[in-house]
Amino acid sequence: MPRNPNTAIRIIGIGNLLLGDEGVGVHVARHLLDHCHLPEGVDCLDGGTGSLVLLEPLQTADRIILVDATMDGAPPGTLRRLVPKFSSDFPPSLAAHDIGLRDLLDSFYLLGDLPPNVVLFTVSIAEMQNMVTTLSPEVAAAVPLVVAMIIEELGVASSA
Amino acid sequence: MSNRIVIDPVTRIEGHLRIEAVIENGVVKDAFSAGTMVRGIEKILKGRDPRDAWAFTERVCGVCTTVHALASVRSVENALGITVPKNAELVRNLMFCAQYVQDHVVHFYHLHALDWVDVVSMLKANPVEAAKIAQSISPWEKNTPGHFAAVQSRLKKYVESGQLGIFANGYWGHKAYKLPPEVNLLAVSHYLDALEWQKEIVKIHSIFGGKNPHPNYLVGGVPCSFNLEEVNAINTERLNHIGSLIKDAITFVEQVYIPDLLAIAGFYKDWASIGGGLQNYLAYGDLPTKGYGDVGSFLLPRGAILGRNLNEVHEVNGKNVEEIKEYISHSWYKYGAGDGVGLHPFAGETEFNYTGPKPPYEQLNVEGKYSWLKTPRWKEHPMEVGPLSRMLVAYAKGNTDVKELVGAVLKKLDVPITALFSTLGRTAARGVETQVVAHWMKNFYDELITNLKGGETRTFTRDKWEPASWPATAEGVGMTEAPRGALAHWVRIKDGIIDNYQLVVPSTWNASPRDAKGQRSAYEEALIGTPVANPEQPVEILRTIHSFDPCLACAVHIYDPKGEQVHQVQFY
Repeated sequence: MPRNPNTAIRIIGIGNLLLGDEGVGVHVARHLLDHCHLPEGVDCLDGGTGSLVLLEPLQTADRIILVDATMDGAPPGTLRRLVPKFSSDFPPSLAAHDIGLRDLLDSFYLLGDLPPNVVLFTVSIAEMQNMVTTLSPEVAAAVPLVVAMIIEELGVASSA
Repeated sequence: MSNRIVIDPVTRIEGHLRIEAVIENGVVKDAFSAGTMVRGIEKILKGRDPRDAWAFTERVCGVCTTVHALASVRSVENALGITVPKNAELVRNLMFCAQYVQDHVVHFYHLHALDWVDVVSMLKANPVEAAKIAQSISPWEKNTPGHFAAVQSRLKKYVESGQLGIFANGYWGHKAYKLPPEVNLLAVSHYLDALEWQKEIVKIHSIFGGKNPHPNYLVGGVPCSFNLEEVNAINTERLNHIGSLIKDAITFVEQVYIPDLLAIAGFYKDWASIGGGLQNYLAYGDLPTKGYGDVGSFLLPRGAILGRNLNEVHEVNGKNVEEIKEYISHSWYKYGAGDGVGLHPFAGETEFNYTGPKPPYEQLNVEGKYSWLKTPRWKEHPMEVGPLSRMLVAYAKGNTDVKELVGAVLKKLDVPITALFSTLGRTAARGVETQVVAHWMKNFYDELITNLKGGETRTFTRDKWEPASWPATAEGVGMTEAPRGALAHWVRIKDGIIDNYQLVVPSTWNASPRDAKGQRSAYEEALIGTPVANPEQPVEILRTIHSFDPCLACAVHIYDPKGEQVHQVQFY
């Protein structure tokens, strides 16, 4: 698989910006792009609702950090760090785009020769809201916390 | 005995889609289609700058993002009387074609093929025999015994890991699967090839649109800077890259997709008389060659066919308030003038009125309101939209490229033209369209290169860019064709901002509930008469629903006659 030698780690925020909290992954990606200095070899992508279009971005980095919303029943704003290996390892109800992400990751695993290196951060959200472009206070408060977790993850990864 | 089957899929474009089907004596007797998630992008857009609307609408859907941006910029241009420069039209057409070719191939291999291809059966295949079959239908370079053996062993490892993943929860071994193991191996091998290929063709979006997913659009043109010699512009090197992607796309479609489609279809010809459904077909058309205002110049023509009469194509006018109307008799909305009226999208209202059961629920009250989708009608007729509609309208209008290919496919399968009105016909029409569009894409590319070499590099007009030049009020419609069917955005601009914005998307035409007269929409009608051999494994229902490319993945819940759930299958 062709790799960009400069891209050791790629952060991809996933979600639908029009569905309020469901778009939290994109809000995190934008926060990282706008307010954080990413170390050399790390890039960040607003993955939107990009399903299979994101296959190549997954394949062209050594390590992937995904950020997505989940409806797992936990209080809104709850954060989790997961290392999913198969689609069955995913938390339930990854909001509006669960199938896309599962499909995508399974395709990624299926095509790869080595087990991919993927870390998934999830932010719990309540039930799907009507269409709005803003986050609820609980989920908005989680954004800087996820960002901090990702920055810490980058530190661990680069010293590993 | 009658069973109630519930198909509860999830789509990006409109959230959850659910189908309840009544099965009697092994055949679907009635069906109800319900979208169960709220829309309301209209509310987000109201009050915004109409030149920004595309960036929001593009986020509605992850699969056909570009078409929502295209419909949006067109609606605004149509309202303000802007005609984009020729190169902008060509770039938009190229992005449109790239979207089609990618989306149709992904639909065939990754969303639909597993309704016909038994993944587990391929483990028993003889790779040498599979290669012989493959080589007899196509010169594709990867049709070798070695490659097929490698694919088989990769899949074997995957299956043995206990994680079928992307192939999980299929109805493997179901007697409705009719392909020999070798053809299953061939199809799965090409499934993997298609995954790798699809990520290349969409680079056309990254190059012209600056990024992907969600490439950039622009009211008045395209945000592309052409300069053949300039490093930071779209230069000769990038254009050559696009040229080679188009060449590879034609090769993939002609050496992989079409041969596989024909080979697989040959085993399922009984599906040429199942799943026909509605007899009315609607296409807004697209691919203008002399401007969006000149409908006669569209390569994909606009028109409506009623009663499967291919001798007459009716004109369609998106601005005529008597033609397209949305009804809410069975939808969770309310209209100011009462729920019995139909409203043209210019006068469209989006006031929610949920009267359904509190989720989770087992059954919808299909006598009353049962869907979040409104019910669009064209001159009161329910219409099917999608590749079949587009190909029928093009065929009936005498498009020679389409007529020739449709004729060749019918001959190859040895079926009459009426075979098109079916589940198999819908799937075949998508293949025909892909091949035609791939070649048109090459023509658009050649024309763009000629223009650029001749010094014509303009991609944007500033005409009417400034709100000060706009009238106090203006109305426009942006009509296009998403891969899965007719799509339009209607915008009303007042004092420089959006006053009303309505979308009627393909799934609304196809997946909507009944209208006030009780007429079913496309999914509901197409399921009537579909055989279901085993209600525990209703692969036949999925075949017909997936033939529409509903942009979904679904969870199928099977209920016993008392309404108790007996079985549930996740489908990816």
